[in-house]
Amino acid sequence: MNIHINGEPLSLSNEEQSVAAALGIYLTAQQALLSFAVALNGEFVSKDDYATTVLSSGDSLDVLFPIQGG
Amino acid sequence: MSLTIYGETLSNRMLIGSALYPSPEIMKNAILASGSQVVTLSLKRQNPQSLSGEKIWQYIQEVVTQNNGHLLPNTAGCKSAKEAVTLAKMSREIFQTNWIKLEVIGDDYNLQPDPIELLSATEQLIADGFKVLPYCTDDLVLCQRLYDLGCEVIMPWASPIGTGKGLMNPYNLETIRLRLPDATLILDAGIGKPSDACLAMEMGYDGILLNSAIALADNPVAMAKAFALALAAGEQGYIAGVMQERQTAHPSTPTLDTPFWHQPGV
Repeated sequence: MNIHINGEPLSLSNEEQSVAAALGIYLTAQQALLSFAVALNGEFVSKDDYATTVLSSGDSLDVLFPIQGG
Repeated sequence: MSLTIYGETLSNRMLIGSALYPSPEIMKNAILASGSQVVTLSLKRQNPQSLSGEKIWQYIQEVVTQNNGHLLPNTAGCKSAKEAVTLAKMSREIFQTNWIKLEVIGDDYNLQPDPIELLSATEQLIADGFKVLPYCTDDLVLCQRLYDLGCEVIMPWASPIGTGKGLMNPYNLETIRLRLPDATLILDAGIGKPSDACLAMEMGYDGILLNSAIALADNPVAMAKAFALALAAGEQGYIAGVMQERQTAHPSTPTLDTPFWHQPGV
């Protein structure tokens, strides 16, 4: 199954179809410890739901981090 | 010198941005010099190998803790209500605050807020428990609509973001103040000089939100202090009551017993 994370293509196996699994592949170990939030196809996904939210082919995940802003 | 935002009393009338500084250290020192207790920040994608945002985030957390302040996440870059609502929810989870500086941009040239999408996003976010601080144009009716939806704080622009053009339309801003006497009004965007901040306070505005004017100054730390002084001066001027303008000249020096009268040619 192919999805996009932050605009980049990512292939997932049949065992890796949750948001939590995709994040486990995409994020470095160091990044996984940082503050971030996730949206799936433009809708917010709570941290509590990462493990239970199932992905479909063509889905788009956004993983956002704090940055400076005005 | 206090400002109330959704029932929270702050000891400083400046809200300050965390972007565009020459370095994270200068950002931290400038924010501390400003005395501001509200620091804006944002969320963006980040390269998986990059940790640059984390350092900035740590600095911002340190400053906010030191000033006993608040984070104010924004929805910069959003062009629809849907995008802004999603980003606001993501921000709430990370920053653990219901406050959101709501930006929904309608035009790329001058980054002018989209009033239709802004109202829609405001309605949805308030229904979801957010305390919305909407960035909007200086349109009285739009500000009234935002207030009617439940925004206790309204943030009309002085001029487009990052221009430093100052108060483009003082009449509109004064009218908003006059017509919304109970709203907390914060002048946001386009502020360039300390005198702009002073003018806003003399109009009776409750505070200002700025970033570029300090971050892009030759000396951001010194400029942060200058803005703090300007805010204090403007507030004192407003409290003291500015004199009424007059159409004709009136001599300040008493004219009675003026010497040399009736001596033509002297």
